[in-house]
Amino acid sequence: MAVVASTSQPHHTLWGDAFIRLRRNRLAIAGGIVILLIGLGAIFVPLISPYGYAKQDLDAILQGPSWGHPLGTDALGRDVLTRLFYGARISLAVGLFAQAIVLAIGLPVGAFSAWVGGRVDNIIMRLVDVMYAFPDILLIILLRAILGGTIYMMFLAIGLVAWVNVARLSRGQILSLKQQDFVTAARAMGASGRYITLRHLLPNSLGPIIVAVTFNVPRAIFAEAALSYIGIGINPPTPSWGNMIRDGYDVIFAAPYLMIFPAIAIGILMLAFTFLGDGLRDALDPRLRR
Amino acid sequence: MAPLLKVDDLATYFYTQGGVVKAVDGISYEVARGETIALMGESGCGKTISALSILRLLPASQVKIVAGQVLFDGVDLLKASKKEMRKVRGGNISMIFQEPMTSLNPVLTIGRQISEVLELHQNMKRRETVQEVIRLLNLVGIPQAERRMRDYPHHFSGGMRQRVMIAIAISCRPKLIIADEPTTAVDVTIQAQLLELLRGITRELNTSLILITHNLGIVARYAQRIYVMYAGRIVEHGPAQDVYRYPGHPYTAGLLASVPRLDEPRKTRLTPVEGQPPDPLYPPPGCPFQPRCTYGVPQCQRSKGDFVEVTSGHYSSCCLAQNGVTPWEKT
Amino acid sequence: MHLVPGGPWDRDKQLAPQVVENLNHKYGLDKPFVVQFKDFLWNTVHGNLGVSYSYQDRGVTNILLEGLPKTATLGIIAFILAILIGIPLGMVAALKQNSAVDYASVLFSTIFASIPGFVLGILLMIVFSVELHWLPTGGWGGIKQIIMPAFALAAMSAAYIARITRASMLEVMHQDYIRTARAKGLSERVILFRHALRNALIPVTTVAGPELAFLVSGSFIIENLFSIPGIGRLFVQGIFARDYGLVMGAILFYALAVALVNLIVDTLYAVVDPRIRYE
Repeated sequence: MAVVASTSQPHHTLWGDAFIRLRRNRLAIAGGIVILLIGLGAIFVPLISPYGYAKQDLDAILQGPSWGHPLGTDALGRDVLTRLFYGARISLAVGLFAQAIVLAIGLPVGAFSAWVGGRVDNIIMRLVDVMYAFPDILLIILLRAILGGTIYMMFLAIGLVAWVNVARLSRGQILSLKQQDFVTAARAMGASGRYITLRHLLPNSLGPIIVAVTFNVPRAIFAEAALSYIGIGINPPTPSWGNMIRDGYDVIFAAPYLMIFPAIAIGILMLAFTFLGDGLRDALDPRLRR
Repeated sequence: MAPLLKVDDLATYFYTQGGVVKAVDGISYEVARGETIALMGESGCGKTISALSILRLLPASQVKIVAGQVLFDGVDLLKASKKEMRKVRGGNISMIFQEPMTSLNPVLTIGRQISEVLELHQNMKRRETVQEVIRLLNLVGIPQAERRMRDYPHHFSGGMRQRVMIAIAISCRPKLIIADEPTTAVDVTIQAQLLELLRGITRELNTSLILITHNLGIVARYAQRIYVMYAGRIVEHGPAQDVYRYPGHPYTAGLLASVPRLDEPRKTRLTPVEGQPPDPLYPPPGCPFQPRCTYGVPQCQRSKGDFVEVTSGHYSSCCLAQNGVTPWEKT
Repeated sequence: MHLVPGGPWDRDKQLAPQVVENLNHKYGLDKPFVVQFKDFLWNTVHGNLGVSYSYQDRGVTNILLEGLPKTATLGIIAFILAILIGIPLGMVAALKQNSAVDYASVLFSTIFASIPGFVLGILLMIVFSVELHWLPTGGWGGIKQIIMPAFALAAMSAAYIARITRASMLEVMHQDYIRTARAKGLSERVILFRHALRNALIPVTTVAGPELAFLVSGSFIIENLFSIPGIGRLFVQGIFARDYGLVMGAILFYALAVALVNLIVDTLYAVVDPRIRYE
């Protein structure tokens, strides 16, 4: 009578498993909630706030936090809280939409490079390496100066620089996919081997890309803030956290909170996305599957 | 004469999330001066853990030595202070590990890795060690020692690295060497060379050797006595030749039967030992081998693993053997 | 740069078209674009970065060279701070794994690795300059001026380095060769400093290069914030004023700095890890 140790586990799909693990990560959940709250606030602020972002009240300039203005007013009497949420619209929009461009360029370029292989692959990867090594902010500034001043161009500027790490990832995935194909063909096991491979490989390859994109968002948010801070980002009177900081500098001794609030906002949003990214990365890591 | 090393009822447990794993569950063995014993068994039976327990090299967090004594020259190592253990390690007892590829530090020269033991235990100064390192490297058969001592581990092959490990192990003339599967990760041709080297050295220096292995061929040739381990316990022990000719335990008999022999007709089928080792979290009651044993009787489940002398100096824990019945004997 | 709308001569008051034309001619701006680019490359190779359009009396090279020491000093000090804080923190966290120290340091690293130096700089400035009046809000001169920007710049790198050091140290301590070292009877201190450290620092060296490059490039925002007259600030001013020469020069400086840093780090890598040395 042989005793076979039974170590069977309940079968989970990759996504279900990952989701459960993600839920257990409190920092990631906290991050997600913060993003959600800021997002909702940003979307609904025109309806909720009694002030517009440009409404000046010259009788009430540079006031500290109060009941009427929970975060105070700026040098032109505009409500800081409202402007902060309008700024959130910009930050979130830039952060997220830039990723669309990142994916639109990065995925195909990486896949193409891996598929074709050879010298074309080498050249493209050289280019990627060079871009990767160079500090991204500088390139973004350059592109911004070239492309012009609208917010859509900002998406483009950021996207045109940030696509490189997604390209690398997608190339890696296609490369391993290529190998899988050959192995399966050689094994002559028929179509079933290939379908299973695709079914397992593709979800695995999406994982790191999702994580990379999640980590790209705070970088994009930072890029926008930095650009606005030095003056080539979003133009006043449209509030962006970057240009709010800039305006705040002029009155730093009189009203330091004007700089603090947008700065903290940037920090919190970036932190939230980073926590979420960390959580996703741990949740999707196939090695941690029990 | 008292044995050099006496392991007495050693028990080492792993505390895991799933439960307690009794990796070593009350084993005893001894080694006399100058003697070579073999500790034999499948992977996972606890032989490596028992060796690490002797030197207390276990990863601290989830593993604990819960019972027993390890008497080395009369002193219980399990009760020794950390400082005393450090003196013993490398100086009186040294260990050779299984994996030559990863057991040497990649950023230090091999000369350095040998000399640091000499500096530590023999109180030599750095400069004085040079000659000794060269001598040691020559002894273990590494050519051009003077040049090679400045090389890094990645410049050496697996077999050569094991020779370096042997050099490190013998450098301070220890009384006991523990060799944990020293040849498993190495080519077959090199295996023989390394073992011959080890035998020559231990004979010359009268060093005791514990040879841990799962390879029956090695055991026969190089060990005087064998201890057979299964699932964390010793199931049989005795003089090597005796155990081979008259195995006193069905597990040993099974192992012997599963190895191809030169004197058998070529077409004879190999008979492996059926089944798997028990789940370490849920060991079966009584004799640990009983679920896989073809000779099991109900008494086996109540067996407490006491030893009975099968032939002179040769003991088995099988309850059948206790009754003088050995149905697995070859004709 | 020519694609940017507006030219270098835009001022609040429009200059007479004739003047604009003359100026353009003087600086060769009316030549075809390709020719201009070629001239630029030629001049650059000869060390002549041309003339700045906003500071018309000085050459771009001179201007940038004035700003270089400040940027370099800031970057180097920040780098040293990052290493001096990051590596020990990572090591201690790894050695006392799962203790309070470890937990705190992991939390610290995660937070400071995500918050840009810019934000930290603002907070520091508010606390120490505005509220406490201990430190000036900017400028360049001595320790008081450099301490806040250096910390703000270093924080993100320090956190990242701490994280890498910790992870690397943890992995190293579980390696077989550490067990061998223990079996030799070596003390924990010797094992740490002779056997573990060099191996653990190898990944750190890998990131040191990009980190330094990051510090050099990210510094321009901090320079702006703290009004430090370095290359970063000149760069920003140049963009604003559409001063092509200045901007191109600054970018060149940055590119050179990045390349140089990477070269140094690659060499350092060979020193630390004997496995990759060429015979």
